[in-house]
Amino acid sequence: MDFIPHNDKTIAEMLDIIGVKSLQELFQDIPKDLIIEKLNLPSGLSEPDLLKQFEKITQKNKVYSSSFLGGGCYNHYIPSLVDFVTSRSEFYTSYTPYQAEASQGYLQAIYEYQTIISRLTQMDVANASMYDGSTALAEAAIMSTIITRKDTIILFKGIHPEYEEVVKTYCWGQNINIVYASEDNLIEKLNGDVAALLFQSPNFFGDIEDISKFAKNIREIVPNCLIIQAMTDPTCLGILNPPGLTDIDIFVAEGQSFGLGLSFGGPGLGIFTAKQKYLRKMPGRLIGKTTEINGEKTGFILTLQAREQHIRREKASSNICTNQALCALATLTYLLALGKTGLKEVATQNIQKAHYVKKELSKIPGYEILNKKPTYNEFLVKCPNIDSLINLCKQKDLQPPLKISSYYPEMKDIALVCVTEMNSKNSIDTFLEIARIVSNNKTEGE
Amino acid sequence: MDYEFPDGLKYATTHEWIRIENSIATVGITDYAQHQFGDIVFVELPEVGMVFEKGSNAAEIESVKAVGDLIMPLSGEIIGVNQNLADTPELVNSSPFVDGWMIKLAFSHASEIDELLSVDKYKQIIQNEEH
Repeated sequence: MDFIPHNDKTIAEMLDIIGVKSLQELFQDIPKDLIIEKLNLPSGLSEPDLLKQFEKITQKNKVYSSSFLGGGCYNHYIPSLVDFVTSRSEFYTSYTPYQAEASQGYLQAIYEYQTIISRLTQMDVANASMYDGSTALAEAAIMSTIITRKDTIILFKGIHPEYEEVVKTYCWGQNINIVYASEDNLIEKLNGDVAALLFQSPNFFGDIEDISKFAKNIREIVPNCLIIQAMTDPTCLGILNPPGLTDIDIFVAEGQSFGLGLSFGGPGLGIFTAKQKYLRKMPGRLIGKTTEINGEKTGFILTLQAREQHIRREKASSNICTNQALCALATLTYLLALGKTGLKEVATQNIQKAHYVKKELSKIPGYEILNKKPTYNEFLVKCPNIDSLINLCKQKDLQPPLKISSYYPEMKDIALVCVTEMNSKNSIDTFLEIARIVSNNKTEGE
Repeated sequence: MDYEFPDGLKYATTHEWIRIENSIATVGITDYAQHQFGDIVFVELPEVGMVFEKGSNAAEIESVKAVGDLIMPLSGEIIGVNQNLADTPELVNSSPFVDGWMIKLAFSHASEIDELLSVDKYKQIIQNEEH
């Protein structure tokens, strides 16, 4: 459909038909003293001057040549194919299609996204995606309270602290009680009011949890308690056991690692999957494939819409009303570009490089790896002096690892180090050299 | 519009019909209600053994364009649900008073039956709603 702007002639014609003398008359209900006469805007810039202006602004960004920062957002390679597909104007400029079935191309893309996510995670159903990992987790929590008709959820230690904040906010709005638990006290926190246990794996500290250990115990005490897993870097699925083969009821993840780039923290993608029996309680859109009534052509539709809030209204379990379809398309393209072997290669490089750094760091005096469980591409390390480590990293054009005390003040001099396929041997060697310097300085200072 | 209003049943203002046999009540939605809903695609029934008070939501009825509740016309314990609705929810549309029944309950307060409507009173309500 073409965009046809108005001109003075058509405006005059329309005003004439509705019996109004001027455009100003349409705003006559606004009190005169509130009408803006003049906007205090600078005068326009020519295109070259405008581009210079934007350049000046972007130069305020510091982009490091290599990064050791994780903690929810990860530096992974994005194949050129992703941009090529998402920047097609049909995808890039279209807003959420209201007459959804008219956008068969988009629906097919999202259907393929749902399929690829379902296959990768081995979960029965994947929806068209939520806004991001944190809100997907919050929505899963609410979904569990509706399924079980219970009003309490357990947050297992190790969930990203910002994800916890989002879950808390959503639960506050829905009068859902939150209980915190860790491995030591989980069993005693379980009771008949619990709708679900939420955990993250690999968790915020890098540990890969083996929840099947707990699942049996949990289900013995609270038989219909749901187990919900969150994941912040799903590239690990290239090497780790998929959640669908475990006792997980709902699996959510942040899709940023799948082709979305860092962009100062967003936009994200809320990967949302569940077992078949929960299908009707899932929030968000579901794309389905079907055939014509009077023919054989297949087409794509929005299916099971009676779950959604525009039909269910006050009975809806979610108020999600817009989408991250373009991000889902980027994720689909990323996964297709890599394929099974590619994703496995990415995951293997992540785990190998991170383990190399882990091993080398533990050889340096003053450094202690704190993880007791297996890790993927992130781990916790106690440092001789974290501020000094961070400063030296910046000086050498390396994005420093996360200072854990910004989230947990009692965890001083502890870094969350993340190593991905993007860290070259050079950058790793530089990082280890910096670690040695910090260690030497500390020893000298003593 | 000509809706069915079978005799021998009690009715509720929320468009449920109730058949009382000794201490058991069978409940479903009326012909008027199924017509308002349109094609019914899913009915979420309660579990046998669940106890509900009069006025609470016992079941959820989904059509292509709306979602509504089956409101308990009497307090009691669910002793039976219509399993056929899982595969053929359209029975509610084609046979709302017979094959499309939804729940059977053992009611706990017989006095609540007096608060239900007779077929004539219910017919009156529908006629008023239609004008």
